[in-house]
Amino acid sequence: MDYGISGRVAIVSGGSRGIGRAIATTFAHEGAKVVIASRTLSNLEETLAELEEIAPGRVHGIAASMTDPESVARVVAESRDRFGPISIAISNVIGHVIDAAKEGSGPGAGTFEGMGTEAYREEFTQLLISSWALARACVPDMQHQGWGRICNIGSGVAREPSTNLPHLLPNVVRAPVAGMHRLMAARLASDGITVNNILTGSILTERNRSYWVWLARERNITVAEATQDMTDRIPLGRFGEPSEMAALVAFLCSDRARMVTGQSIPVGGGGSAHL
Amino acid sequence: MDLQLRDRRVSVFGPDVGIVAACRRVLLAEGAVLAESSSGDSYPEADVVIAVGGVRPGSDLLEISDPDELYAAWDDVTNAVDAYRAALPRMLDQKWGRFIWVGSAQAKSVDAEADELAAMASLGMLGLHKVITGEVGSNAITANAVLRGGIATDEDVANAVTFLCSEGAAYLSGITITVDGGAGSGIF
Repeated sequence: MDYGISGRVAIVSGGSRGIGRAIATTFAHEGAKVVIASRTLSNLEETLAELEEIAPGRVHGIAASMTDPESVARVVAESRDRFGPISIAISNVIGHVIDAAKEGSGPGAGTFEGMGTEAYREEFTQLLISSWALARACVPDMQHQGWGRICNIGSGVAREPSTNLPHLLPNVVRAPVAGMHRLMAARLASDGITVNNILTGSILTERNRSYWVWLARERNITVAEATQDMTDRIPLGRFGEPSEMAALVAFLCSDRARMVTGQSIPVGGGGSAHL
Repeated sequence: MDLQLRDRRVSVFGPDVGIVAACRRVLLAEGAVLAESSSGDSYPEADVVIAVGGVRPGSDLLEISDPDELYAAWDDVTNAVDAYRAALPRMLDQKWGRFIWVGSAQAKSVDAEADELAAMASLGMLGLHKVITGEVGSNAITANAVLRGGIATDEDVANAVTFLCSEGAAYLSGITITVDGGAGSGIF
């Protein structure tokens, strides 16, 4: 199927690892011009080398924070200078990591009783301000072209907050992010711009692996047991690959998905219970 | 019906003075009393905490240029969290408590005149209520929301809030009651 995005300029935040890297790779295969942004230069260089093999001359990397609106605006301006107006914006920023030494790079663990509100604000910056800033910086280009795709890599806890895992911060902030995308979709539909949100479920990333190590320690079980426990909750009986997330994202960003907007769609092997 | 709210200590706060006043009026008529904080700058240890979100009619997330406007709306959430946590020890001790958020129906069903900042804050509170329900619900502490829409009056909202405070609502937690006169179009 021709997705109709050949030559389109796409920005993928958090594009150097995991889900972001898989999305950037898929876009590169589909002929898009791809800019990946991430904080860590070494990760960026490794991924860029891979992408360059697929799409010589059509990839660019920028080391930058994607949570600070001014930094995001600089990334968008540099991308435009390099490849032209932006058509596709993928927001993929992880939540506030409270203590990486203790919880790996897993989502902000804590309880309602114990957690102060400063951490809520940090999570709001990581997840909501970041995606708002990227969308806002790219929308003028999209309006000018009469075509745009905004997609946020969110979490299933937006619709079904997890109460069996201590994920207070994502439980509180992921739903506002999903709502924000729904609201932006309504504002932008008449400009030919679609806005969607992925409810990420159980996807096999390095981050998830490090989270299981933390979870196993927290529950005093082995990593294999923690992994099995998580796997048992998935109707399809396995974790998904990042490329399986990228497949949906690429479809939503294609010309074929022009009628799909304002949606929050789970990718989790049937693990979401909500209708 | 006796709502069994006599002498319950209630704390109602938020920038919407009309709804705050209406909630106090209806609850006091049921025999509840206003909780007072021991010091002027902290939230009281109440039996019932009602946090009312602000309204910013017609706010448009894409028109906003200063992220501080988003943070200001988020302050409605963190203020509610501070008030909830101030009351929690007393609720855990007595094994009874009510947390109620009053927010925007646009959290669930978007319309053209959406108050987008209020919808965003309300969605955060709905997530928080699920966490609270899982964490402390077994202590007969509930956390629910009243979402206002359409042309609901302050009194309409206060009536739903008061019901959620009552004993009749003891088995409801993590839910929302939309008070919008049927204006919203969503089924779920």
